Amino acid sequence: MVRYIIRRLLQMIPVVLGTTFLIYTMVFGLGDPAKGRCGERPCPPAYIAKFNAEYNLDKPLVLQYLLYLGKLVHGNLGVNFYGNDVSQELTTRYPITIKLTIIAILFELVVGIAAGVLAGIRKNGFLDNLVLVSTLLVVSIPVFVIGALAQMVFGVKLQWFPVTSTQGTLGQLILPGLVLGSLSVAYVARLTRTSLVENLRADYVRTARAKGLSRGRTVGVHTLRNSLIPVITYVGADVGALMGGAIVTERIFNINGIGNFIYQSIYNHDGQSVVGAVTVLVLVFLLINLIVDILYGVLDPRIASD
Amino acid sequence: MRGHTRAVAAVAGVGVAAVLLAACGGGGSTSGSKSNASSEISIGACTVQSPLLPGDTNEVCGGTVLNNTTAKLVRYNPDTSQPENDIAQSITTKDNQHFDVKIKPTYKFSDGTSVKASNFVDAWNWAADCKNGQANSYFYTPIKGYADLQTDGGACKTAPKTDKMSGLKVISDTEFTITTTEKVSNLPVRLGYVAFAPLPDSFFKSAANQKAQEKIPVGAGPFKVVSNNTTDIVLQKNPYYAGPYKPHVDKVDFRVYKDPSAAFNDVLANNLDFTGTMDPIPNDQLINNQWQKELAGRWGQKGSSVFGYITFSPIDKQLTGASGLKLREAISMSINRPLIIKQVFANSYSPASGWVSPVVEGYKAGACGENCTYNPAKAKQLFKESNGYKGTLTLTYNADGGHKAWCEAVASEVSQNLGIKVVAKPLPDFKTLLDSLDKKEISGMFRNGWVMDYPSIEDYLAPIYGTGADSNYAGYSNKAFDKQLQVAASADTGAPADAAYQKAEQILGKDFPTAPLWFEKTNYAWSNNVTDIKVDAFQQLDLSSIQLKKS
Repeated sequence: MVRYIIRRLLQMIPVVLGTTFLIYTMVFGLGDPAKGRCGERPCPPAYIAKFNAEYNLDKPLVLQYLLYLGKLVHGNLGVNFYGNDVSQELTTRYPITIKLTIIAILFELVVGIAAGVLAGIRKNGFLDNLVLVSTLLVVSIPVFVIGALAQMVFGVKLQWFPVTSTQGTLGQLILPGLVLGSLSVAYVARLTRTSLVENLRADYVRTARAKGLSRGRTVGVHTLRNSLIPVITYVGADVGALMGGAIVTERIFNINGIGNFIYQSIYNHDGQSVVGAVTVLVLVFLLINLIVDILYGVLDPRIASD
Repeated sequence: MRGHTRAVAAVAGVGVAAVLLAACGGGGSTSGSKSNASSEISIGACTVQSPLLPGDTNEVCGGTVLNNTTAKLVRYNPDTSQPENDIAQSITTKDNQHFDVKIKPTYKFSDGTSVKASNFVDAWNWAADCKNGQANSYFYTPIKGYADLQTDGGACKTAPKTDKMSGLKVISDTEFTITTTEKVSNLPVRLGYVAFAPLPDSFFKSAANQKAQEKIPVGAGPFKVVSNNTTDIVLQKNPYYAGPYKPHVDKVDFRVYKDPSAAFNDVLANNLDFTGTMDPIPNDQLINNQWQKELAGRWGQKGSSVFGYITFSPIDKQLTGASGLKLREAISMSINRPLIIKQVFANSYSPASGWVSPVVEGYKAGACGENCTYNPAKAKQLFKESNGYKGTLTLTYNADGGHKAWCEAVASEVSQNLGIKVVAKPLPDFKTLLDSLDKKEISGMFRNGWVMDYPSIEDYLAPIYGTGADSNYAGYSNKAFDKQLQVAASADTGAPADAAYQKAEQILGKDFPTAPLWFEKTNYAWSNNVTDIKVDAFQQLDLSSIQLKKS
């Protein structure tokens, strides 16, 4: 197991190098970021020269990247075009995004699995159909519609929740967390249901029932555990996606998280921030994937790595 | 057996209910975070994009912060945009070239030190010095000796020999003189621009201080910055403020929004006290005046200095010369400005009848004459008299500024009325547009905009149409026009100078280098908690008049 983990960690190095290089060249290979910074007036040449020197933009692209990499190795993500330290920007924003992700994932797991189990154990029953229809409804509505609607109804009209989550406290993040998790809840419910229905027909379930085990125990302990493997795969990928992909939800609720930061940085052509944030995101994604792979083994020893 | 299933269902059901209950409880406990009686207000803001130094801040996000933390020699009245003495006791000149500035001795910076004449002179010298690469250095160009601080055509590869402009002289702690290279009658008006704010002695003492003041500026304004990060900026009353514009609120929280809709919804729910200047009212709310219905009694609209126009490319031979002039006029006459304003901008713009904003002194309506009035018949007539336009006429715009809708509307109108092929052509962003203009790659027409720096008719003419001026993208050059600018610059301020500038604008009317389109209005909204909302022509909220409602 340890060897496996070390091997996986070593594999990350070329992946990180490759992705950062790609991102760096994509962001900085295009145009002159100093130019549009003086409104409708052209920038003074001294200003452009100072700006370019400060961010190494006067050097060839490959050299720029190597200089950036040199700093990156020391954990220094540099200073963005607004003069703010990128590492610091990320450390103030990651906790908020992590909180938001946890709320969404908890919602996904608790509600999604519960709904999936209820639907699965009574196939074609009323609950099954209800879950099927309601998940279909959620899946077919884009998240920005759900978000804007939830904000309007629960925030502005009913005032149950704060309209925006500027400070990022837990209470403020609940509504956006539910919105963020809503789409995945539907997928988790459907995955759980299908997987459970399939497993309930398996021989070992029949054996267990024949031995006189209660239905609750067969479903809750034996079948559910095996049925959760595809769900874990999905949720694992989802954690990564939510960490960086909460752009829409974070924008609607003005949450100062990573998604919003990346969106804002791209919009403002703040290359330094984009590269830094995405690099960290790549690392997060790789680590979560590793954790998911290890979790497989815990759920089902047959597919344990190593 | 069935009983067991029910049990599982019940457990799962309880779990769901618990999650939902927790959700409601958590939300309820924080939703009361409204501005309260401790005299604190919150304002929708945007990310500050440059260091908060007078010489470096030129965008609205940082500009709004800096404008409230600095005091200048003069201040622009938020209602009339007219300059009034602030720190200045008097600014006098006999020849419009030598200015004597006397300052009030009472003003203090937020660190408690007095504002002296040297604080102005040192600040301007520092910002004009090309070594420091300040974005606003343009504003010091009229001062004698500015050129000595620029080397290598402004690129500053070698350090300048001096670090002082010879035109600035400190006489005493309360008096200094400004000498300009040429006559500049409206210099006193310009001195209210943020680039002319003083810097404290501590700024010049060490590089560390300079770095610190880029984030937490030290100025003599009614407020001071207490914290500044990228998600919010908190301003507090400056205890040392000695000017007459004392604020009614103790604390102002500039909350950064990325999505204007979020800010708007927060104002709607009274969680935010003001939005509109830095985060615009969202477009979907402007349609059919939806926002005014939703906000009943807490919205406002104010004419601003923001000017939108179309520039005819100087490199397009078909648009130059005698035939080009007729063609340019025909194009302008075939644009139905009021209709586009109604359909695209939901009436939040007003059509332009000249090149100068109605908000400045010296504005005279109608300089553009019939060229800015929709007249398809006359347009066709003029088009026939010209040599026509071969090929496709393009209207280039930057896709990151929300210009797509109106550019396409203009293109289709011109195309319909003149019977030529016209397309709106996007470039990815504003910097690409500027870049292509510098490289002289854009033919046809392109969009342009202008935001005034100081409330003077001159600011709409000299920087855009003066021969060789910085923002002269039309490549316009007319000796008579330049001459009028000179006459105006040496005439007495007020009516004599204005008359000369108006004459210059008349010349633009004849030469028609650009087609004026419209002036923007600022739409803004406020919460039920505040009152006395004033927005000026610079699209800034006046923080010295806003106050909490008395309950």
